[in-house]
Order: sequence, then structure tokens, then C-alpha cells
Amino acid sequence: MATGRDVRDMLGLPMGAGAGEQAKAAKKSKTTGGVKRMQGVAREVAALYGERPPPVAVYEEEKTYRAKRQNTGPAKKWVQQDFVNQARNDGLVLKHWRRKHAPAPPVQDGEDTAMEETDITGPYIENCGDFNKYNISVDLPTFSDEEYEAHLRSNDWSREETDYLFEVVRDYSYRWAVVWDRYDYQPGNNSALSQEGVDGDDGNALAAMPFAPPKQRSVEDLKARFYDISAKLMKLRIPEMQMDADQYSTYEILSKFDPLLERNRKALASALMNRSMDEVKEEEFLLTELQRINMAANRLDAEREELRARLDAPAPNTQIAAGLQSFTSSQALQTLFSQLFQQDRSKKRASGGGSGPSRLSLNTNDLAQTPASTVPGPISAVNRRQSMALPQSAAAQTPVRTLPPQQERRYNVSTHDRLTSGVSFGADRLVKMRQAKSNVQTQKIAAALHELGVPDLIPIPTSRVGEAFESLIGKVGKLLDVRKVREKEEGEIRVLEAMKEAKGGSSTSSNNNATATDDKRSTSISAPPADRRSSTAAPASTPKTTTNNGTTTSTSKRNEIPDSNPASPLDNESSTRRTSRDPTTTTNPDEDDDQDDDQDDEEDDVVDIDTSHPRDNEEDGDDEDAEGEEESRQPSEAPAHVSTQQQQQQGRKRSASEFSAGSASVGSGVSKRARK
Amino acid sequence: MNIPNSSTAPAAGEYAGDEVSAIVLDPGYWTTRAGFAGEDVPKSVCPSFYGQLDSDSGSQQLFGENAIHNPLGNLQVKNPWGSDGIVQDWETATKLWEYAITSRLTGAKPGDPTKNGLNDGTNTNGDAMDVDMDAVENQEKPLEDSPLLVTEPGWNTAKAREKYIEIAMEEWGAPAFYLQKTGVLAAFASGKASGIVIDVGASHTSITPVLDGMVLRKGVQKSTLAGNFVSEQIRLIFKQSQPEIPLTPHYMVKSKTAVDAGASAQATYKTFATQPTDSFRRHEEERVLTEFKESVVEVWGGNGRLSNGANEDIAKQMPGRPFEMPDGWNQVFGVERFRPAEALFDANAAVHDADHPKPKDDQTIPRLVQQAVQHVDADQRPLLLSNIVVTGGSTLLYKFNDRLSNEINNIYPSTRNKLFAPGSVVERKYAAWIGGSILASLGSFHQLWISKKEYEEHGPSIVEKRCR
Ligand SMILES: Nc1ncnc2c1ncn2[C@@H]1O[C@H](COP(=O)(O)OP(=O)(O)OP(=O)(O)O)[C@@H](O)[C@H]1O
Ligand SMILES: [Mg+2]
Repeated sequence: MATGRDVRDMLGLPMGAGAGEQAKAAKKSKTTGGVKRMQGVAREVAALYGERPPPVAVYEEEKTYRAKRQNTGPAKKWVQQDFVNQARNDGLVLKHWRRKHAPAPPVQDGEDTAMEETDITGPYIENCGDFNKYNISVDLPTFSDEEYEAHLRSNDWSREETDYLFEVVRDYSYRWAVVWDRYDYQPGNNSALSQEGVDGDDGNALAAMPFAPPKQRSVEDLKARFYDISAKLMKLRIPEMQMDADQYSTYEILSKFDPLLERNRKALASALMNRSMDEVKEEEFLLTELQRINMAANRLDAEREELRARLDAPAPNTQIAAGLQSFTSSQALQTLFSQLFQQDRSKKRASGGGSGPSRLSLNTNDLAQTPASTVPGPISAVNRRQSMALPQSAAAQTPVRTLPPQQERRYNVSTHDRLTSGVSFGADRLVKMRQAKSNVQTQKIAAALHELGVPDLIPIPTSRVGEAFESLIGKVGKLLDVRKVREKEEGEIRVLEAMKEAKGGSSTSSNNNATATDDKRSTSISAPPADRRSSTAAPASTPKTTTNNGTTTSTSKRNEIPDSNPASPLDNESSTRRTSRDPTTTTNPDEDDDQDDDQDDEEDDVVDIDTSHPRDNEEDGDDEDAEGEEESRQPSEAPAHVSTQQQQQQGRKRSASEFSAGSASVGSGVSKRARK
Repeated sequence: MNIPNSSTAPAAGEYAGDEVSAIVLDPGYWTTRAGFAGEDVPKSVCPSFYGQLDSDSGSQQLFGENAIHNPLGNLQVKNPWGSDGIVQDWETATKLWEYAITSRLTGAKPGDPTKNGLNDGTNTNGDAMDVDMDAVENQEKPLEDSPLLVTEPGWNTAKAREKYIEIAMEEWGAPAFYLQKTGVLAAFASGKASGIVIDVGASHTSITPVLDGMVLRKGVQKSTLAGNFVSEQIRLIFKQSQPEIPLTPHYMVKSKTAVDAGASAQATYKTFATQPTDSFRRHEEERVLTEFKESVVEVWGGNGRLSNGANEDIAKQMPGRPFEMPDGWNQVFGVERFRPAEALFDANAAVHDADHPKPKDDQTIPRLVQQAVQHVDADQRPLLLSNIVVTGGSTLLYKFNDRLSNEINNIYPSTRNKLFAPGSVVERKYAAWIGGSILASLGSFHQLWISKKEYEEHGPSIVEKRCR
């Protein structure tokens, strides 16, 4: 059972004295509630409610299911009451049924009431205003003759027709569709009748029409005229300057009415409506197609995103992007709170006074409050243990307190999402990381690490070393991937080129100028396993056949064309290494291994670049430590330092990612490195 | 009314109702409906046909169901409505409507219970059942204390409208009067203030666009492709079928014996001293045809027209419907039953002969709807098309609404077209009356009545001004 205590606990509220009181009160009310028997409910039914009866009484004891028909004396009398409607001015008297008015004394016999009835209803006429609220008339702008002459004249509209228009608009309360439907101006005839307000006895009008048939006006024409007059009148009554916002917006709408635009819009609307079945089907089809394309595009985007993530592009700050949405879980709220609390406190510290009440009203006792300068023993011990267990930087589940990053680094504090029970050793983790899924891959990783000079056993596997090692392993893995891709691409290029060559070769063979290497290559195509390496490693350079011997010619040749082969600047090193290893690979006649070896070649190149990173990182770490100490003395300067460092780090990271982004960028990265 | 406790008054604002015991009259070509406003069915529904007995002493008019089906020798059965859907014979129409009102609602005169039509059962002979109009004329006017709401077709002329108010005010002495179009009222009956009302009655089919309770006059369409046309089609089909299908009305048959399907009838027929008139026989045949329409005729409700593609073959596969004539002749009707009503939608499918040419294509219901919509402001069209109200007796034809819906969706595939057809027969047939009943019982309607005083001041032309 959840008590207030639990709730408070979950919310991180303090268990103050008030809470205790409340708890007591709750207990009391609970006991009384439990003791109190529900009235009018069978015990068995009441038992179904459990310990807590519903807050609202579901049953009123006094009430029976149906109100008993009360005997309120003789039947109520109804009369057919004459009445006039206030909305009418012609005094039409209608009759409706009403309760008889006179409050007849309760004890009375029938004859008397009958007599009274006739007495009362005779003269009385009810004045009924119940439905006056439905008697609505519209507001219409009005104008005098002078105003019309001065401002409202139009070539297209006579005064009579304008009057008629206004009359129709009033009659049909601005329902333009109806106004247009009923608009039937008969010149001459109406001018005489309009004063009386009699519009259009159709038969008479047609008979007495000596004029040309009236203009056919569209809704837009009518609207344009009416709005034009309304706008002008509005301006006359209230100068533009003095209009308030509402009035002005009305005025704008009125004066900006464009009949042509409206007409075009309506034409489009009706064209849309009059589409044939086929067109509608086509539209439907196109819409579904569009949806499909959109979905495909989204999927593609997602895939790209994933790829980018794999290639270790700097992740966008999801915390900020997600905004408030990320604070949906109680855990996230907890983090937010602690962040705010942290800010609050640092602000207070900056202003120098720690005595004022905290901005956040929650009691801070339950948060392990520690002065920034001293780290209490137990906590650091715990943290150390945590950091030993899992070197993860993610936010802790229940952070006691968040340290700024540089401090965390300084005190070697790390936080963890989840801790496995028991003790684990960093060395074990490192060993585990060396293992890949397949044996071949594990071997390759080992070889790469070996080449980098990373010892099999790392002396002090601190969490930071672990991290560095992890990132190194990640990079190695990526490198291997990239190399595989490159291998494939190059293979294709080779085949294509060989095909081209084969064509060219057949033509050049008649020239007798074919070199020995040409012969070699053509043979390598005809018999791939024989000397595959020559063509894989250096598709462009001819003297590559000498690889096995590691001659200087190859390196010099490569230096001349650095971009054609990414491995070129480092070839000295790698080639020497290769020579040392060659015997093992060359003895193996298997083609696959041969390829693997090729991959190793490339791996060398890039890993060579990467080798500097762990070292750099370590250096950085040292620097930071020093700076961290400095920072504790001069807190205001700290952020700048950190940010530059971070930038540097990021820059390095970015270049690393550029290496791995593809063979081309690897090449450029390498060239940069060479320039260094 | 179903108030739980009859001694409690309904809350005033509950439905804005305030009844003034108005009478609603909805005259049609087939039947004339009358009743008190506020009720949900017309109390009095009597045929719009009347009998005329010509004798030496002058002609006598007989009204009511019982009178016109009585096979008297020289009884002519007539209808006061003209072929244009407007009342032609005003004098008789007045009497007919008065009969419809007085026979069941107000009572002709309190003093003579044998002649007020309420006590038909006590009479022994058919002649006396019918109200003697001459006697009534001398009495005080029949509608002295009931305001009257009358319905009119959407295409009524100004002259005809004035005639209505003249009758109500001067002949019947109504204290207040109002005239409203059937289309608007049918829309009200479905709870709509805007929509397109498709009314397929007996003499006319009409399409009425209604916006905010007002008819858009330019859009009103009508044609004669309605119930009577379908009957005519059936007659032609009967005549043209091999062998010809005999159409014998009930009054001719004395007794019948069962025969096999398609075999000629074995019945004994009544003999008459003077043969009933042709018009009488025709009207009696019409009754049989209505029965046939109700039980056999079907509208092709599938995709497209009956003549499209394989539709006719599909129709042939469907099980037939049997029909037995009053004289015992019977047959199962297969694909023929789709043909009488097909011409309502497809003029080309009309059965025709020399006297009965095919109707024009623009008379068919889909074309009419299209025309009506075309004459409405473009902005209102989608609104109207999403409120299509179907009413009138002939829309009860089996599958009529399916077909109508298909046709409209074919014309306007890109709008949301929705048909509203009341499920109950009474509501479908008497929608205009029900709408009138609603309107006239509203408290807010009190101010719209044309009072006798106003009529006296302005003359009959006031109806043009007030009822629009
Ligand atoms: N169940 C039914 N199936 C088919 N047709 C029917 C059915 N019931 C009635 N009818 C037909 O409907 C027509 C009567 O319809 P309605 O009562 O709406 O006409 P009306 O309003 O009197 O005539 P109008 O509108 O032309 O003045 C008649 O032709 C009748 O044959
Ligand atoms: Mg009708």
C-alpha cells in the first residue's frame, strides 16, 4: 500500500514534522473510514468495496427508486391562454396552453373552480416575450442622399439598384448565396415600389417592363458594390486614423475585396468539384505515391543517420533538442532538478552569500550536500568503486550530486547507469575488448594492436585507460571495415581496368613495346591466385612486383604520386614491417589469407596515425588534471580552458572520423599528417 | 406526449416549443396531409383524387377514400392538380383540403355528428359518409381559431401563392397563415437547415437546394419522372409483354381461383348496371400498380446503369419476385422488374411507344441534381451535397437510395456526398408535413405568421413579401 511517505520518498521530499502529522491524520481518517459502516448497503456489497469506500455516497437512504406520486390535491387546471407576441406589432392574438393562473385555495369543490376559470380567462391576455431573443434584425450601413451624391456614385449602379441591393441584403441577413439567388432587380418598376418595400410581383414586373433586361450580376459584383459602399461609409463616419484595431481590420477587409480574385477562386473551386472520376482516382493515386516516396525518404534519412552515427560523427545534443519532452520520466525530472539545484547553488556562491533561502523550495537535506572544495571520504570511495566497475559516463540513476566535468575527471569520479553486482577488473574488460566474434577478426585486431605497440597486458587499467582502449578498439574495428570495403572496390577497379587493359593489350601487343610488367598483369588476370598482390596493392604503379623484396624503387615511385595511393607517405615503415612478416603470408597459398594480408597493409597505414591518440589523450588528461587544480582556485577562468581543450579534442576526433569516412578522406587525412 | 408525470409542464426552453394548435396542411398530387402542429404524424391523410357525380340536378363532388373507390356508374375520378405541379382547379382543391381538415381535425359543425365524418362507422350507406359541402358553407368558417401553415411546391407561381392565402383567410377564416415550401420543410424534418431535398412524389420529382432554411430558387428543378411515370412504364411493359399481362382492378373481381404462374386467370367478374367510367377504372388500376411498385419493382442498385456491361446479365441471375393480380393471374418477375424505374435515372432505358415517347435525358434525377447544384453558389455546393435529404413516396422503391447514391457519387466523386433518407415509411412519405409540424409548433415562429389584420391591410401580395 502506498502511503504518503512513499509518495514523498518518490518525489524526493523531506520527511518533515508536517509529513508526520499528515501521516497521522491520514491514519486516523483511514481508521474512522474503515470503521464507519455504509448505510443502506448490504454488508456483502460493502465488502466488495474493500478497505476504501467510494468518496461519493452512491446511495441515499431516504430516496426510493421512484418518486411516489404525491397527491397534491385535485388535478392541475390548464387553460388555453390568449397571448400576444411582443415581437409582433399587429396584435395577433393566439392561444396556447398554460397552467391556470389563479392560485386556487386547496380545498374547493369543482363547481367553484369552473366558475373562476371563466372569470379569469375572459379579459386577461398574456404578453409573451419568451421568444423575443429570436427576433433579430441585421445592422446595415445607411447613407443619406447627399452622401450618396458626394461619395457613392457609380457608373455601373443606379441609385435605385443600390437601394434595392441594400434592401435584399437586409432581407436575407447577409446570406450572399441567397441574396444572389433572389436578386432580381427590375429597373423602373422597382424604383416606384421600393419605397413601399414591395419587391417583385414577378408576373407584373415582367409585363410592365419597358426597359432592356437588367444586368446579370454575379455574387462578386453584388459583394463588391456593397463592400465598397460600406467601406466608404465607414471611412466617412470614422476617419481612418481613429479606427480601433477591430474597426480597422473590418475596414481593410471591406476595402480590399477583389471580385476578380473571388471569381477565380470560385472557378477553381467548382473545377475541383467537377473533376471526373478518373481525375479523382489519379489524384488519390498520386497522393499515395507521394506518401510512399516520403516514407522511403524518411527511411533513407534514418539509414543515413545510422551510418553517420556508426562513423562516429559528433552527436547532436539531444538533451537540448528534445527540450521539455525529455523530462517526462521521473528520473529525468530528478536530473533536471539536480541540475537546477546545482546552478542555483553555484549562483549563490558566486554572489557570495550562502545564507539566503534556496531558490528551489525543496529541502536539500536529502541531497548529499558537500562543499565543493572537500570531497568526503565515503562518497569518493563509493565512486571509486563504481568507476572500477563500469567505465561509463552516462548519468547515474540517482545522482547524489553532479560534478562539473573537469572536477569529475580530477577526482576520478564516474557515474553509471547500471552497476553489476560484485567486483570486476578493468584488465578483464580490456581483455574482453580484444575479442571479436570471429577468430580471424580477433587475430587481425591483435595484429593491429601489436603493430601499434600496445602490450598484451596493460599495466594499470584505470577507467580512463579503459575508455581510451575502447575507443581505440572501436577505431580498429572501423578501420577493418573500411579496409574491407576498399578491398572490394579496388578489386572491382582492378577487374575493370584489367578488362580495359586486355582490350588495349591486344592492340598494343602488336607494338612489341609491352613491358615485363604488362605481361605480368595480363597473366595475373588470367591466373588470379598466382600474383594477386602486385595488382591489388598498387594498381597504378608498375614496379610493384618487387614488393616482396621491399626495394626502394617502389617507395620513391609512390612518393611521386601520393594521392594515388593512400599508403604512400608511410610506406617506409609499413613496407619494412611487411617484409618482416611476409614469409608467413607468402607461404600460405590460400587466396583469402592473401587478401587479408592486403588488408593488413592498409590497416597499418591508418592505425599508425591513430596510435598517437591514446598517448595524446593521456597527455591531455594530465594537462586537465593540472588545470583542474588551477581551476579550483580560479573558477571563473575554468570554462574557457575547458572549452578550448574540448575543441581540440573534438578537432582530433573529427579528423579521425575523416580518416575512417572512406579511402579518399583517409588519403587526405594522411597527407595532412604528412605535412605535419 | 410522453411526460413521465403528466402534471408537470415541460421546461419552457427545452425545445423552444410553444404550440398554438396550428394546423398544417400538406397537399400533394397523391394524398393530402393535414394535422395539428406538434404531432408527429398527420392525423388526416386523404386522397387528392375526388369523385364527381354528374346528374340532372347538377354535379356533386365526393371526397375521401371511401367515396372514390365506390364503383358507381357515372362516377368520374379527377384530380385538382395540373400537369405542371400547380393546383389547377382551385375551387375543388379548396373543398378537398377543407374536407381533409374538417373530417378529422376540427369537425365541420358541432351540431351534426352524422355528417362531420368522425362517425363514419355509424352510417349505413356510402353516400352519406361524405360531407355535404353545401351545408358546411352556411356554417361559420371552419378554421376560425387555428392558424394555418400550408406547404407549396418550390416552383409555385406568385399568383398561386396569393390564392392560397385568399383561401385561408377568406374562405376558412384562419386567424394567421403561413406558406412554406415542401423542400424546406422536408429538410427541417431531417433536422437540417441546409441541404438538397430530393422529393420523388407522384406527379413530380423535385430537387430543392435549401440554404439556412431558404430555398435557392434558381436551383429548384422538377420533372415528371416520378411515381405516375413509373406506373405508366409498368402499364407499357404489361402491354408490350408477350402475352400481354392483364391488369384487372379489384372492384371487377367477384371471386378468383388459384392458377399456375403465367396461366390466364380463372375468375368470376362482377357485373355492373352501368359500367364505371374510364377514369374510375384507371384510378383503380393505379392502386394495383402501386401495390406492384411496392412489392415487385426494383431499382438497379449495382454499379452503373442497368444497361452497362454485364449488369443486365447479373440482374437476370437474381431470384425473381412473384406477383398476383386481383383476378388470380400470377407470375414471377425476373429482370423485367428492374425496367420500370430505370428510366428515372437513364432516359434511354425508358419503355416507350407512339403515345409515350422517351423522356429527355435532362429530366432524369441525376441530371436534375447536377442542374440544381450548378445553380448554387460554388462555395455552398459541398455543404449541400453533404446533406442530401430524400423524401417522397416513390423513393420507397426498393434499392432507390443505393442507386441514387451511386449516381451522385459518380457525378461528384470528389465531394463528401451523404444521403439522408428517413427509415420509416411515414417519415419518408410525409416529411414535408412533419417539417411543417415542427416549424409551426415553435415559439419563435409566432412572429412569422401573417395575421388576418396584416392580410387585410396589405392584401394577398403580402405572402410574397413574408413567405420567402
Ligand atoms: N412503397 C412504395 N414503393 C413505391 N412507390 C410507392 C410506395 N408507396 C407509395 N408509392 C408511390 O409514391 C407516390 C406518392 O408519393 P407522395 O405521397 O410523396 O406523393 P405526393 O406528395 O402526394 O405527390 P406530389 O409530390 O407529386 O404532389 C405514388 O405514386 C405511389 O404510387
Ligand atoms: Mg410531395
